[in-house]
Amino acid sequence: MIMKKLLVSYITLGYPNENDYLKFVKDADDLGTDIFELGYPPNFAKYDGPLIRRSYLKVKSMYKNFSELISRTRKITRKKIIVLTYLENIQNNLDEFLGTIKSSGADGVLLPDLLIDFPENYFKYLNRISEKGLDTVIFVSPFVPDKIISDVYKFSSPFLYYGVRPTTGIVTPVNISSLLKRLKNLTDSRVVVGFGLKGLEEIKEALSAGADGIAIGSAYVEAFENNGLSSALDVVKRVRCILDDF
Amino acid sequence: MIDLIPRYWYNIVPDLNRPLPPPLDPEDSDFSRIELLNRIIPKEVLRQQFTAERYVKIPDEVIELYSLAGRPTPLMRAKRLEELLDTPAKIYFKYEGATHSGSHKINTAIPQAYFAREEGVERVVTETGAGQWGTAVALSAALMKIKSTIFMVRVSYEQKPGRKTVMKLYGAEVYPSPSEITEYGKNELAKNSANPGSLGIAMSEAIEYVIKNDYRYLIGSVLEVVLLHQSIIGLEAIKQFEFIGEEPEVLIGCVGGGSNFAGFAYPFIGSKIGSRYIAVSSSEIKKFSKGVYEYDFPDSAGLLPMLKMITLGKDYVPPPIYSGGLRYHGLAPTLSLMIKDKIIEWMEFSEKETYSAAKLFANAQGIIPAPESAHAISAAIKIAKEAKEKNEKKIIAFNLSGHGLLDLSYYQKMEAK
Repeated sequence: MIMKKLLVSYITLGYPNENDYLKFVKDADDLGTDIFELGYPPNFAKYDGPLIRRSYLKVKSMYKNFSELISRTRKITRKKIIVLTYLENIQNNLDEFLGTIKSSGADGVLLPDLLIDFPENYFKYLNRISEKGLDTVIFVSPFVPDKIISDVYKFSSPFLYYGVRPTTGIVTPVNISSLLKRLKNLTDSRVVVGFGLKGLEEIKEALSAGADGIAIGSAYVEAFENNGLSSALDVVKRVRCILDDF
Repeated sequence: MIDLIPRYWYNIVPDLNRPLPPPLDPEDSDFSRIELLNRIIPKEVLRQQFTAERYVKIPDEVIELYSLAGRPTPLMRAKRLEELLDTPAKIYFKYEGATHSGSHKINTAIPQAYFAREEGVERVVTETGAGQWGTAVALSAALMKIKSTIFMVRVSYEQKPGRKTVMKLYGAEVYPSPSEITEYGKNELAKNSANPGSLGIAMSEAIEYVIKNDYRYLIGSVLEVVLLHQSIIGLEAIKQFEFIGEEPEVLIGCVGGGSNFAGFAYPFIGSKIGSRYIAVSSSEIKKFSKGVYEYDFPDSAGLLPMLKMITLGKDYVPPPIYSGGLRYHGLAPTLSLMIKDKIIEWMEFSEKETYSAAKLFANAQGIIPAPESAHAISAAIKIAKEAKEKNEKKIIAFNLSGHGLLDLSYYQKMEAK
């Protein structure tokens, strides 16, 4: 059976304003988003590019309670909700944070700094997340050694996130096919590719090379910045179309 | 002989014990330095910087030019040195001074200049400390029939007129740094007209010059892609050791940004050959004893993305020691990570100790080493003496990264002391 290709839509919680944010989630759901990834603003989004960083700055000045926004999101979509934030910021009150987002309706977390900055004890964190009844989407990149990928991929659910470039939204020359080929040799998880994918051609390249889904984030923020909600939704439509052609 | 040259470079990133922290843009950044790399570095070089492939194919033309430039370099046994030290240890060295540019630097200058020419770049620009890197870039640009500009750390420019002459002979434009050519250089000179310069400052000038003129920058060390190209040293050495039926236990190299050490040692680490790997720096610089593992800029101007590395701070101006190649504040991220994890050991030796080691080596083996490489010799001697005390038949191998025939002003100064 051929599995449907996943569209993972990232949006910063509450961006660019509550109204447009909720409309975006609702329509992006209708237009075929399979999983939502919601950016919970960290102190410093160090592995993100300038667009996502700007979106965090904006929402930080607008809201006090981001869990409340997760609850409101939960009410308008039945798709999986993965909360993206940095472990660095929540490690001291991890259980409380996980409990709050769980009760707000989140299904899992994605912590881009987990493997990079907590190499000695990421298993401990994976356990704590799972004890709270949440999934972890593990973020790997070309900077993650083969051995670590082999050790962790089976703990990643509902997919393994592969960031092909050093940061979100910034294009540097990479050979997506060879990067994916290497990853697919190490894992039988579903692999969603993101981080700086540029243009529809690169999405096609990733899918041809075996990606099980695509994560889009900076492209939405850029569309919002330039032309607002309808433009961001156009991106959803275009990407869904490509995914359905595969 | 060309058959001894490997067809693939080796990338250690997939074989590390833990993830390599990626390059990043600082928090208060109003532009992306990672994006800026696209305007600074040749495209294929940048692609190789971020590859996850364990083996990267070497283009045929690069292999031909490696051969032209003196590869494979010899693996030699320092038998007379062993005798002088009266050690049961065997000491081998890979002699990178046998390349036409006189050091290992040519191993990455050729492919970088090749990839620059392939994308139609008319001029390549770089900085140089002691002059080995500048020489390698000047020669590689000449081989590719493109132009080159070199910003040379002022103290070296003044102390090493021979290097300058060689670079100019290969057709390069050479400026002392800080220079009047760039805004960054002008500012540095305004602050201190006697500024001896540093690699960090010269690098900042080169990058500014590249951005302003849409040239491309060739990077001499620190970035993973440079370590990748330098792996040719260790890959050749592994074949040569196989040929003579020996297996080294201790692998040693000197460290500025880390590329000659990494190029020599990483293929051994990846092949699980050897039990000790020792990176050697200068006790005047104190990179290992005083450096901190944190995100810092590889260049003083902060135009490049931050790298997580052992660093003395981007604004550190090292003392004007003669081992110009070691006068750099940072260290390659993979090497920093493995030093932090104690997979790689470190040692530091003073200028005086390395001078004695260089003299002993020259008298025993006939080769005058570059002062940087003499740091590796110092460590090899130290290990060989320890082997004598413990009566161990250890096999030691070090990378003699360059010859010192253009460093005679250093030897004159030390003779006079």
